[in-house]
Amino acid sequence: MPVYRQNILLEVARGIKAFLNFEAGLTRGPTPGEGGGIQSLEEAHKRLEDRNRQIAELEKKVRESRSDAPAGDLKPENVVWMFGTARVGSTWLGSMMDEPTGHTMWHEPLVGALFGGFYYGRGAHRGGKHGILGGPDEKRSRAIRAFILASAHEKFPEVSGDGYLVVKEPNGSNGAPLLAQALPESRMIFLVRDPRDVVSSNLSGKSEGGWTAEAYKRGRRQGTPPPSDPKAIVRKGAKKYLEFIGRSKEAYDAHEGPKVLVRYEELRADTLGTMKRIYSELGIPMDEDEVARAIKKHSWENIPEEKKGEGKFYRKATPGGWREDLTPDQIQMVEDITGPLLQEFYPEQQISRAGV
Amino acid sequence: MPVLKNRVAFEVARGIKAFLNVELGLIRGETPGAESGLTDAKADTREKDTRVRQLGQIGRRLAGRARTVAEPAAGDGAQDNRVRPENMIWIFGSGRSGSTWLRSMMSDMERHRVWEEPMVGQLFGVFHKQAQEGQLRSANFIMGEPTRKGWTRSIRNFVLDGAHYANPRLGPDDYLVVKEPNGSTGAPLLMEALPESRMILLVRDPRDVAASVLDGARKGSWLYERKDKGRWKENALADTNPEAITRRRANMYMTQVGNARDAYEAHEGPKVLVRYEELRADTLETMKRIYSELGIPAGDKDLTRVVEKHSWENIPEENKGEGKFYRKATPGGWREDLTPKQAGIVEKITAPLLEEFYPA
Repeated sequence: MPVYRQNILLEVARGIKAFLNFEAGLTRGPTPGEGGGIQSLEEAHKRLEDRNRQIAELEKKVRESRSDAPAGDLKPENVVWMFGTARVGSTWLGSMMDEPTGHTMWHEPLVGALFGGFYYGRGAHRGGKHGILGGPDEKRSRAIRAFILASAHEKFPEVSGDGYLVVKEPNGSNGAPLLAQALPESRMIFLVRDPRDVVSSNLSGKSEGGWTAEAYKRGRRQGTPPPSDPKAIVRKGAKKYLEFIGRSKEAYDAHEGPKVLVRYEELRADTLGTMKRIYSELGIPMDEDEVARAIKKHSWENIPEEKKGEGKFYRKATPGGWREDLTPDQIQMVEDITGPLLQEFYPEQQISRAGV
Repeated sequence: MPVLKNRVAFEVARGIKAFLNVELGLIRGETPGAESGLTDAKADTREKDTRVRQLGQIGRRLAGRARTVAEPAAGDGAQDNRVRPENMIWIFGSGRSGSTWLRSMMSDMERHRVWEEPMVGQLFGVFHKQAQEGQLRSANFIMGEPTRKGWTRSIRNFVLDGAHYANPRLGPDDYLVVKEPNGSTGAPLLMEALPESRMILLVRDPRDVAASVLDGARKGSWLYERKDKGRWKENALADTNPEAITRRRANMYMTQVGNARDAYEAHEGPKVLVRYEELRADTLETMKRIYSELGIPAGDKDLTRVVEKHSWENIPEENKGEGKFYRKATPGGWREDLTPKQAGIVEKITAPLLEEFYPA
C-alpha cells in the first residue's frame, strides 16, 4: 500500500533541533503511527523476532500446501521454471543456478513446446471435451501435472526432499501458461531482454557462418534451415519473441506461487545483486559465497576467447549492442512487431522509430 | 521541549485505512523519529506484518489450488475406475477413410462408447516426429531416447487419465472406441504405451482419399466451410491450385497411414486390418471379422442392426452428395474425380503403401 514519509531536521540553536516527521498513506493493517503500540526499541525488536518466527512458519506452510507427492518425492513447489525466449541469457543464468548444492538444472526439456505448441498452435482441438487438452482447465492441468512430475522423477530421481529442480525452458515458453497452471505452487523466473538485442543475436547465429546456420549445414540440425534473407530472419525472430515472451508474461501475471521478473540487462550490470534478489523473491535460501563462486565461474570473462564473438553462441553480451548490429529498417521491424512488450519492459528506452 | 503529535486514521474502503501522522517540535539530542533506530525498527515491523498477511493469503490460495489440480474432483472416480487399457479399440488410418462410419456402427454395439478424435496421437506423434536427432539423443529432452521407458509410461497414464476425463461414466467392462485417424502419426507411440489395447488399421485407396479431400476443400464445401483456421480459406488451394492440395494430402497419407501401418506391425495385442472397400462391399461380414479378430463377443443380430442403421441408404438424401461430408462412398470414384496429373501425384507419393495395400 502506498506510504509517503518525510523527516526534516534542522538545528535552530546550539544543541537544539527542530524536527518535523510526516507520514501519510493507505494501509490494510494497523496504521504506522500506532506502531502496533511499539514505544521502545526493545519492544520493536521483540515484535520483529515474533514476526520472523511467524514468517518462517508460514513459509513452511506454503511449501507444504502441496497435497500430492510424486513417486520420487520431488516437491512440486521446488520446481523453478525459467521462462522467456531464446537468447535472453537463460543458459548463463541456468548455469549459475545449477551450481549451489542441492540445485539441479533440467536443460530444455521442451515440455512447454510439447503442450503449448499443440494447445495454442493447433487450438482447434482444445475446445471439445473429447480433445485431449480440451474440457475443464483442472482436468487438463491434472493430466499435464502428472506427466511433468513423472517425467521429472524419471530423469532426476535424486532430486528429492529440499532439492530444487531449475527447469530452463526458454524454448518451451509457448506453453508457459499451461505448465504454470499445472504446478501452481512451483516457482517462476521470467527472464526478459530487449527484443532488439535478442533479434540481433538471432540474426548473427543464423547468418552465413553463424552457429545456428552451421549446425544445419553440418547436419547437427535437420529440417528446414533458417531463411538466409536477413529481413526474414528478423521478422521471424521478432514474431517468436512476441509469442514466447507474451506467453511467459501471461503465465507470470497469473501465477500465484513465488515468482520474479529479471531483465538480462540488470543481470549483466549487477549479477550478484540480481542473483540475491532472485533467490530472495523466490524464497529459496542461498549461500552468498556459493553464489558468488558460481557467478565467477560462469562470468563472461571466464569464457575462453575462442568461443566468443560474432556468429558464435557466446557473442557479445552487451546490452544495447543492437544499435551497432541492426539496420534502421530491421530496428523498425522489431519495434513494430514487439511494440507492446518493448514498451512494458523497457519503458525507459525510447522506441527509436527507425534509424534514430 | 515542546512536541506536537497528531495522528488521524479513517477507513476509506473495507479493510483499508488512510492515515496521516504528523510530529513536530524542538528537541535536544535525537529526534523522536530517528531515535536509536526506532523508526527503522517500526518500519521493519510493518513490512513483516505485511509479509505475514501476504504469506497467509498465499498459503491459503495455494493449498486450495494445488488440491484442485492434484486430486481428482469428487465424482471423478478413483484410478481403478479408469478405462481398462485392453478395452480400448483404436481406429487408425487417415481422414476420409470411413472412420466416422465405422465408429458410428461400433458405438451402437452394447457397452461401447466413443472417444471422438482426441488427437492425442497428434500431440505426441507430431512433436516426436519433428524433434531434432540431437534432441532425441538427449536425456534432457522430454521425449529423448534415454528416458523412453519413462515417458512411454507417462503417455500411458496421460491417455488413460484423458480417456477417463472425457468419458467419466465409462464402466470397467465397457469398450472405448477411440476414433483417431488424424492422430495416426502418433500410433506407434500410443501402441507402445498401451500394448494390450486393440487396434483397427483402416485403409482406403489414397486416390479416393485425395479425391474426397479435394471435393470437401472447394469453396462452399463442408471442409472449406468448417476450417477457418490458418490460411485454408485464404489460399483456397482446392480451387486455385488443386495439385498443391493433392500433393499435401498424399504426403499426409504417407505419414499417417505409414505410421499406423508401422504400429500395426509392431502391435502384439488384438488387431485387424480393414480396407474401406471391403467394408463397403460386404459390411456385415467385415464387421463380423473385425469383432472376431479383436476377440470381442458380438452377436450377429446386434451387428446386423448396427450395419442396417448406419447404412449409406439410411443417410438422408439431403446430407449426401458433392461437397458434403457424406459424398459418394464409391470405391474407385477417383477415376472420375481426379485429373490424370492429380492421380499421378498421389500414386508417386504413396507408391509404397499403394503397392502394399492395393497391388495392381
